Amino acid sequence: MSEEKRIVKSYEEEMQSLNDDLVKMGSLTESQLSDTIQAIVKIDKEAAENIVKNDAQINELRAKIDDQISTVLVKRAPMAIDLRTTISSLKISHDLERIGDLAKSVAKKIEPLPIDLPPELTGSLKRLGELVKKQLNNVLDAYISKSKDKAIEVWRNDEQVDDLTHIAMNEVANFLGKNKKNLELATHLLFVTKNIERAGDHVTNIAESLYYLIEGEYLEGARPKGKEFVKDK
Amino acid sequence: MTNNKVKIKTEKLDVFYGQKQALKNVNLEIFNREVTALIGPSGCGKSTYIRCINRMNDVIETCKISGSIKIDGQEINNKQIDVVRLRERIGMVFQKPNPFPKSIYDNVAYGPQIHGLADHKDKLDQIVQTSLKKSALWEEVKDRLDEPGTSLSGGQQQRLCIARAISVNPEVILMDEPCSALDPIATAKIEELMEELKKTFTIVIVTHSMAQAVRVSQRTGFFHLGNLIEVDTTDKMFKNPNNKMTQDYITGRFG
Repeated sequence: MSEEKRIVKSYEEEMQSLNDDLVKMGSLTESQLSDTIQAIVKIDKEAAENIVKNDAQINELRAKIDDQISTVLVKRAPMAIDLRTTISSLKISHDLERIGDLAKSVAKKIEPLPIDLPPELTGSLKRLGELVKKQLNNVLDAYISKSKDKAIEVWRNDEQVDDLTHIAMNEVANFLGKNKKNLELATHLLFVTKNIERAGDHVTNIAESLYYLIEGEYLEGARPKGKEFVKDK
Repeated sequence: MTNNKVKIKTEKLDVFYGQKQALKNVNLEIFNREVTALIGPSGCGKSTYIRCINRMNDVIETCKISGSIKIDGQEINNKQIDVVRLRERIGMVFQKPNPFPKSIYDNVAYGPQIHGLADHKDKLDQIVQTSLKKSALWEEVKDRLDEPGTSLSGGQQQRLCIARAISVNPEVILMDEPCSALDPIATAKIEELMEELKKTFTIVIVTHSMAQAVRVSQRTGFFHLGNLIEVDTTDKMFKNPNNKMTQDYITGRFG
């Protein structure tokens, strides 16, 4: 990374402001995801309502970042590291927005759930949520410190997300197998699980964009994949 | 692109203007039928470099050049070389359009005449027409060929100079900031023309506009204080250069 400042001060400021807004968006998304995981485990319907409301802030930031990027592209025709930063920021902000949407979508599923969710259903879901939360936290740290190694680590750890998703889904499927009356609840929980896994996929995308930003090359080889969900017999 | 053959090869090229060293141990390969852009801050040696290729530096008394410059494998940096013949093979276009104070027709016909490329008028007419067509100027001037070259607009004058350069069938065209005195439309026309010209000629362009280097060239070399810092495909140079100095320069961190 270049330490020297640009000759054109306003360009320096524009890039700094883009970086600051992306970090801010990252931390907002992180707290939304974290609140959502907590709310689903505790079936906290009030928190869920707030999460749904707060999503607008993330969307606003994304729109602002989009606009800033258009300005930088047209005004500065960025090159090299600046070009990669601009392109990656655009992609990262979209992935963050999607994580925000998924958190909101999970929060919306909390309303119809009973307060006394059987603990056998929340154990793996909680672990999955905590892992994705940690992944997001790590990728944001990697972004701030522009650490290639941390980005790779996040990218690799998605395998664990897949595995935990697999386990959590199986638990829901078994729960449904016990009694067909559980269908509605099980469907909600399957959606919730899948949405959390998808949030994890977006975290992985961010790791990939970050790697490109730092190295100017794409992460090579297929991402390590965990188990696909197939109901255990 | 990498399968392309080397047209111009310089090795250990040193250039001095008096005590001042303008180029330091420059090793550079220019590939056939490609556009190579040379970038770098003022005084970095990029113009000095292209002036070595057609021996333009010969006219400067204090200039001393050592090292090797080969065109198609033939050494041109020695006393035996016929400089007039060399400049027929290697045309040049300058920053400011500099048509001769002659008619449009004569501007283009002059080179072929002195190099004896046309033995009769019909042949000369044909060369003039072809050159003006190749430089994308023909349609604009075909009905006013006897008017002075200087009556044309800046952009047209520059295309006239390109027609003049290509009229003697060169192999290489050197362009020293050919668009810096032109408006964006005239610049676009020259850039469009370069796209066409590179099918026939090898082009080396010195430019201060990095956006232009990205648009027109396949390979870019970055000079700084007489050193060739980095040369690579243009795509690589502007997306992910290897050298920190290149990156700092193209991202506006020093100039």
